Amino acid sequence: QVSVLYFARSAELAGLRCESLRVPRQLTALQLWEEIVRVHPRLADIRDQVVFAVRQEYVLLEDQLLVLQPGDEIAIIPPVSGG
Amino acid sequence: MDESEDVPKDFIKLKSERLSVDEVSELVVSPCCGAVSLFIGTTRNNFEGKNVIHLEYEAYTSMAESEIQKICRDIRQKWPSVRHIAVHHRLGVVPVTEASIIIAVSSPHRAESLEAVTYCINTLKASVPIWKKEFYEDEYSWKENKECFWANSEK
Repeated sequence: QVSVLYFARSAELAGLRCESLRVPRQLTALQLWEEIVRVHPRLADIRDQVVFAVRQEYVLLEDQLLVLQPGDEIAIIPPVSGG
Repeated sequence: MDESEDVPKDFIKLKSERLSVDEVSELVVSPCCGAVSLFIGTTRNNFEGKNVIHLEYEAYTSMAESEIQKICRDIRQKWPSVRHIAVHHRLGVVPVTEASIIIAVSSPHRAESLEAVTYCINTLKASVPIWKKEFYEDEYSWKENKECFWANSEK
């Protein structure tokens, strides 16, 4: 069970800002994205423009293997526009 | 002179209230420093011919603070003489001409603080999880900083 946080455009497409998701303990970033899109198909629109933050470190949507703990925080990060 | 009170500090704050230049510059003033350099980012009233009514900012607050802390650490590595660093970013609605960000850096001589401020805003725009929604008269748009490496420049 991990916490998934949605921000900016991804929150608008998913229709929520935060939820718990049950995912395998080990999976690639790409597989994690597929799990999330399964729940929120509209997110597929922004697939090329987002990265993840896993435990507050940026992770690209590629083959990197993630080892997740219960309660870990995952965030969908659209292109930033601070400052 | 008692140096223990003047340990280099980072002052990072994300808040929804109006930002204060006086408050931020006073945070970094130090007896050993001859220079305080400032950057203020304000809301512009136009984008590509459209009238901007206001901006709205949101943040992944805990990660934004830790990413800004990393920037402060980098600044101290690159410019070891930098004393204090303050970064205040406003969240929520920011009307036109009001400040959305204020960065202040102090150093004994001016070159380091001027360079550090530039580095700070440029790096923040590339890597800190804060997002800006620009409101025009009849629509809005989520902005994307060109510094952000996962933004598509051509759509």
